[in-house]
Formats: sequence, structure tokens, C-alpha cells
Amino acid sequence: MILQLKDIRISFTNAQNESFDLLRGVNLDVEKGKITALVGGNGTGKTTLFNIISGFEKNYTGEVVFEGNDFNRIPAHRISLMGIGRLFQDGQLMGGLTLMENMKLASDDTTGEMPFSSLLFPKKWKKAELQKELQVREVLTRIFGQDNKYLNMLDKDASEFSYGEQRILSLARLLMGGDRLLLLDEPTSGVNPMYIEIIEQIIREMKEQEGLTVLLIEHNMHFVRKVADVCAYLDEGIIAKVGPTAEVLDDKNVRNSYLGL
Amino acid sequence: MEYVFHIIIMLNIYIMLTLSANLTIGMANLLTMCQAAFYGIGAYIGTFFLMQFNLPFLLVAALVMLFTGAFSFLVSFASVRLKDDYFVIATMGFQLIVYTILYNWTDVTRGPYGIPGIPGIRLFGMFELTGVYAYLVLSLVLMAVVVFLFHHLVESPFGRVLNAIRADEITVKSMGRNIVKFKSLAFFLSAAVAGLAGIIYASYVSYIDPTSFTLDESIFILSALFIGGIGNTKGPVLGAVFVVLLPELLRFVGLPDSVAANLRQIIYGLALILVMYYRPQGLLGKTIMK
Repeated sequence: MILQLKDIRISFTNAQNESFDLLRGVNLDVEKGKITALVGGNGTGKTTLFNIISGFEKNYTGEVVFEGNDFNRIPAHRISLMGIGRLFQDGQLMGGLTLMENMKLASDDTTGEMPFSSLLFPKKWKKAELQKELQVREVLTRIFGQDNKYLNMLDKDASEFSYGEQRILSLARLLMGGDRLLLLDEPTSGVNPMYIEIIEQIIREMKEQEGLTVLLIEHNMHFVRKVADVCAYLDEGIIAKVGPTAEVLDDKNVRNSYLGL
Repeated sequence: MEYVFHIIIMLNIYIMLTLSANLTIGMANLLTMCQAAFYGIGAYIGTFFLMQFNLPFLLVAALVMLFTGAFSFLVSFASVRLKDDYFVIATMGFQLIVYTILYNWTDVTRGPYGIPGIPGIRLFGMFELTGVYAYLVLSLVLMAVVVFLFHHLVESPFGRVLNAIRADEITVKSMGRNIVKFKSLAFFLSAAVAGLAGIIYASYVSYIDPTSFTLDESIFILSALFIGGIGNTKGPVLGAVFVVLLPELLRFVGLPDSVAANLRQIIYGLALILVMYYRPQGLLGKTIMK
């Protein structure tokens, strides 16, 4: 197992000062090298669970174990450095920065990011920048093929790309780091069918070519059936069912309570 | 001619101040209203070293930048806890606290009486700079160094991370960057350069009092930055040129001083409104303040 969630619990207080338990003891084992889909209704705590795993939410109880290491309450930026990448629900490229700058930022190599070293050793970081540029081209070629259009758009401001393009480029950006587990929060949300197919290819590439483990939240059940090896159904604060995707999605209780069928 | 040189010296000081503000406001998206506080801290600390010790300028400058930079941690600490409008208000609070201390701690700062007779900067511990020509050369050299360094920082991976923090702090954090560290570094460098401008100013005019380092002065620096533009080097430089040269140009219109002073404020205000409306990134800016 690459990731284990043990008895994760979290409560929130609403505007009326009433406490409610969102997660009531989530237990989940995420298998290495597989694509696991986390499904469940709106407001069931899927994104909160992602926030807990990636260190953005601290007020929980339970254990998060990644590659055998318990990293409860480690700051978010350090969790990322330990090998967990994330695509946010509304995650886009960063506007005001070029596509190249967006991609470079996702690199593990932080040479020149400290002001004093960047002033004192310009040759060192300029050399590292060249390496990163090569890596960016290599990642984009691997994902979108030889001579793809994005290789000629590296200096374009990220905000000038369409929503769908930003989504697929944000996914490609995740391959710049040395992550071993990727958390994808609704990767197909708001994306047209043409880009959904590309997203599917990218996620398969992540698993098959890169050997990465993917945990994704998704409401598009057709998409989940196509890409996910394993599916976990979150309902009423617990993982109510987990297993092979088809088995979970065809389960009578899941179909009844989540899909309304 | 001395009049022109005086304008150029003040211009050089304001270029340093607007560039220092650009690092936090323009790049890290931290709208601070206390740049004049760091300017004042630098001026007073520099005055202390110049009057108490016979130290060479480079050492005094390094000490001033270090101490002023250290004060910036008070503000960067607030930036961790406070967001948006609350952070702006906190920086205004810091500005007012610094002003109040400078004004009331009379045993040290002489309060409203100010500190006269500040000695000139001693280059290499030997040659004391006096007169407008010496400060013209010194301020030009320092301004050029600051412009070069800031341009280098803007274009470096450090600048890229600050730009990214402005665009999407959460995503940058999820990419393994320690946001608190980057913001603190930006504040440190920003405050240090404002402090450097402060010591040049104090030594050049040989007299300081708290009225030079008020909230109005912070707003003035902010106006220069927004008019010129944020996110690069040329925008802040143009902004400083605009706000420093404008009142001097009004002198040649032949208006009485009382009218010219009011007119200057109106023109600054109008310029800000027009720039914000038609070109929110500033005249030569790269990005828009979020």
C-alpha cells in the first residue's frame, strides 16, 4: 500500500454553532500503481479528505500513512516534497505566468529560488533553468506527442489558454515533479468531451508509463468506469464500499444512495 | 544646477523606495501600507550609527539593511495570520506604531524636534561625503545597483515563485514551496532597501524628523508604484519619475506655492484614477494587483 488512511475523523461547526461530524472514521488503503476513484455525493467530505492527505487540513484525528511513514500534521509544502502531487478542483494554470514558468514551478529542482543564492550564483541557476526547459519539452512531448502545438506556446501567458487546455496542461504539470502519488480532484469538471478523452489518456499515461499511483475524486461515472481500477464509495462519513470499480458502481446500495437508480 | 542635482538625488531615493515596495506589493501581492515606516527606521538607525560611531559607509549600510530587514519580520509574521483587507489594516497599524514611537520617544529620537547635524557618509571610513555632487554620484550608483539587483531578482526563479504566489498561493504551496519563507524573504529585502534609502536621505539632508515617515508618505510611495506599474522593474522606476518630477514641473507654470501644492495632490489623485481605470497594471507594469 502506498497510502493508508486510518480512522480519519473531522468535525466542523456551522454558523449556528452546531457541531457536525463530516468524516466519522474513514479507513482506506490505496494500492501502489493503481488508479483509485473516490466517489460520493456532494458535501460528503471527499475534498476534505484530500485536504487532510495533502496537509491543508489539520484539525482531524486518525492517521495518514504514506509509504510507511506517518506524516500527520506535516505542513502542506513538505508533504508535496515527500512525493504527493495535487490537482485542485478549480485548479488551473497560474495566470500572469507563461506556460513554461508554470511547468518549471512544478519541478523539484529549486535552484535559484533563494534570493541570495540567485544573486551570488547566477550561472548555477541559469544552467538549472536550461535543464528544466528540456524537461518541460520532454514532458509535453511524452503527453501530447511529437511537434504538439504546446511546444510552440511555451511563452504564452497561461490565462490565454482555454479552460479545457489549462486543465490538461495542469495535469501534465504534475509530471514535472518527482511525485509518486497524485491526488486529482474532479479532473474532468467543466471540461468538454474532447478534453475528457485527453484527460483519460494522461491519467492512463501517469499509471502505465510513469508508474504513478492516482487517487481521484470524480462525479463522471462513465469516466470512473473507464479509468479507475478501484473505487471507494464515501457515504455518511465512512468508506461504505470499496473494491473493483464495476463491482462498487453496480452495487445496489451505491446505485440507490448515490446514483439514485 | 544644484537644484537639478537635488531633484535627481531625491528621484534616486524614490526609485529605490518604489522598487522595494514592488517586491512585496507588485510581486508577492502583499499590499503593505508601511513602506515609509521601514524608510524611517533605516533613516533613524543609520543616523544612530553615523553619529555614534565612525564607521565606513558600506558597514553602516549593511547594518542598517540588516536591522531594518529584521523589523520586517513583525509585518511578515502578520501576513501569515492575516489575509487581504485585514493584512492591509495591520500594516497601517505598524506604520502608525513606528510613527508614534519616532514622535514620542524623545530621549532617543528627539521626537518632533528632529535630529539635526547628521554627519555625511564616510566612504571607506576616510572621505566624508559633503555637498550635492557627492550625493548625486553616491545615490546614482546605489540606485543603479538596486535597479540591477531587483531586475535580476524579478527575472530569477525567486521572482517566478513570488509571481506564482500572487497568482495562486495554494497551488504554489502544493508544489512544495514554503509560502511563509518566501513572503518573509520578500519583506526582508523590501524593508532592507527602504532602509538603505532612509540612510541616504538622512545623511544627505542632515536632518530628520518623524514627519518624513508618515502614513501619507507610504501612500505616496504606493501611488508611485501603481501609476508606474507593478511586477517588473521599469514600472516602479517610471512611477518614481512621475511623482518626483511632477511637482517640479508645476513650479514652471508660475502658480503660487499654495495653489501648486493642492494642484499636485489633485493631479496625483487624477493620475491614479485614470491609470486604475484605463490601465490597471500601471503605465509600464506587467501584472494587475489582485
